[in-house]
Amino acid sequence: MLDVNGLRKTYRGQGREVEAVRDLTFGLGEGELACLVGPSGCGKTTLLKCVSGLMRPTAGTVALDGRPVDGPPPDMAVVFQEYGRSLFPWLTVRGNVELPLKEKRLPKARRRELVEESLEAVGLAHAASLHPWELSGGMQQRVAIARAIAYEPRVLLMDEPFAAVDAQTRADLEDLIRGLWKRFSMTVLFVTHDIDEAVYLGERVIVLSSSPTVVQDDVRVDLPEERDQLTTRSAPRFAELRALVYREIQNAKNGDGGAGRTGAAGGPAGTDGPDREPTATGGAR
Amino acid sequence: MSVRALPRAAARVLLLPAALIALWWWAAAASDSFYLTDPGTIAATFAQVWVSERFAADVLPSVGLLLTGYALAAALGIGMGVPLGLSPRLRAFAEPVLEFLRAVPPPVLVPLLILLVGLDASMRAAVIVSGCVWPVLLNTVEGVRAVDPVLADTCRVYGVRGRRRLTVLVLRSASPQIAAGLRQALSIAIILMVISEMFASSSGLGFAIVQFQRGFAIPEMWSGIVLLGLLGVVLSVVFARAERRALAWHRGLRAASRGE
Ligand SMILES: Nc1ncnc2c1ncn2[C@@H]1O[C@H](COP(=O)(O)OP(=O)(O)OP(=O)(O)O)[C@@H](O)[C@H]1O
Ligand SMILES: [Mg+2]
Repeated sequence: MLDVNGLRKTYRGQGREVEAVRDLTFGLGEGELACLVGPSGCGKTTLLKCVSGLMRPTAGTVALDGRPVDGPPPDMAVVFQEYGRSLFPWLTVRGNVELPLKEKRLPKARRRELVEESLEAVGLAHAASLHPWELSGGMQQRVAIARAIAYEPRVLLMDEPFAAVDAQTRADLEDLIRGLWKRFSMTVLFVTHDIDEAVYLGERVIVLSSSPTVVQDDVRVDLPEERDQLTTRSAPRFAELRALVYREIQNAKNGDGGAGRTGAAGGPAGTDGPDREPTATGGAR
Repeated sequence: MSVRALPRAAARVLLLPAALIALWWWAAAASDSFYLTDPGTIAATFAQVWVSERFAADVLPSVGLLLTGYALAAALGIGMGVPLGLSPRLRAFAEPVLEFLRAVPPPVLVPLLILLVGLDASMRAAVIVSGCVWPVLLNTVEGVRAVDPVLADTCRVYGVRGRRRLTVLVLRSASPQIAAGLRQALSIAIILMVISEMFASSSGLGFAIVQFQRGFAIPEMWSGIVLLGLLGVVLSVVFARAERRALAWHRGLRAASRGE
């Protein structure tokens, strides 16, 4: 459904050129939940901006349902890394969540229902009439998440959305995202720093190398679909997968492996580990 | 504020004005200048001169003129500022001309506008507009340019565009800066109202003050000056009230980011 092909992005400014992303190729199937991990500054946000059509890549293409993306597609929602700045300070929490729904021309009753449902889901029903600046960082982040899910998107992109919430809320939100994903069969691309989170949440973990950025590895998470914070996280397979991703990130930081596997995302590479799954593009066309 | 603190607060506010009036009184008594009238006489004259048909004949038209010119300037400044702020190309195109026009002191336009527009009220309104439009325009341009790129991206992702984008994103996020421009424009408007009436009018506050001065009606002249001062105070209080309401979110945001 979502195809990223040979994506490259070079920032130009003040006579300097920064190659944020060198060559990324991967695909997401309809209804897939993939996590994207990679060292800080490797270009995860850059990738997300290109995928969402907010930024033009220097080279390569992004296609959604076979159509090239050259602007934000309808029914795609994004939770930005700068969640605080992505909320309108002059609107209340309710106003922020409702704004995209107004643009969708939903009737008032339906809008109200969606706003209430999504605020309830992130545990902010009581804060609906406050302004974003009256909330803590974690609450602001949850408003941004509520706004995204109220929009009922087909594709949901999230850029480190749980960075500012406490462990308990974070666990709840992880389960919320998985629940919503299953309920609405959305396609989700989820950026995170946290390896445990990536493995717990994803059906697939895409590991990016450090700059120059390529796809370092693409790990299929073969944990059962019903996940649970306690049992899943203590399962032996969870520990194995997490170790595997961890090793790949270490390799990425040391700069090994990336080059050898540049094209690996699409093919059956990475057969040198006993516990490594064949890298697959997860049902992508 | 408790009831007991009220007199103390009132004392704090009124102390300096009272001291200045006392000083003035003393200076007027000590000097034998014909032109320095004591505050008591001015107050008595004030009631006599302005609480009369003069209020309808001179004060109301002046205030009407002021508000008309100010509203036109605000509409023009915001109306031109938004497209200029949104489009770098338009800005590059218009900037040199705007800089020049801004540098021309508005009062020198009075003789020119008398020729072009004539001696009537529309000419005086034009003078006010020509001076007030710049702070509004320039502040609007700056405010619109400073729209947070993350908010702009948010609007793009969620398909917020057209008129809703203009009202929800552009005007709202520029509103603190636009308000700053409007505040500057308000004091310019008062000055230009008086000047235009002094030069080219047969009624109005500015005209009345000049007439009193020419007829050596010195206490009357002083009372006109006091009235102008009061008018300025009232307008700025009304403005501050409106701004407080419209920009409550901005004060909250600033307080929150200062950690209060
Ligand atoms: N607007 C920009 N202009 C120039 N360089 C940029 C710009 N945005 C990002 N970069 C550079 O591109 C690289 C990738 O940045 P990006 O924000 O995509 O990283 P990231 O993986 O999201 O990092 P983090 O995990 O810290 O959020 C960095 O080296 C950064 O300095
Ligand atoms: Mg980032």
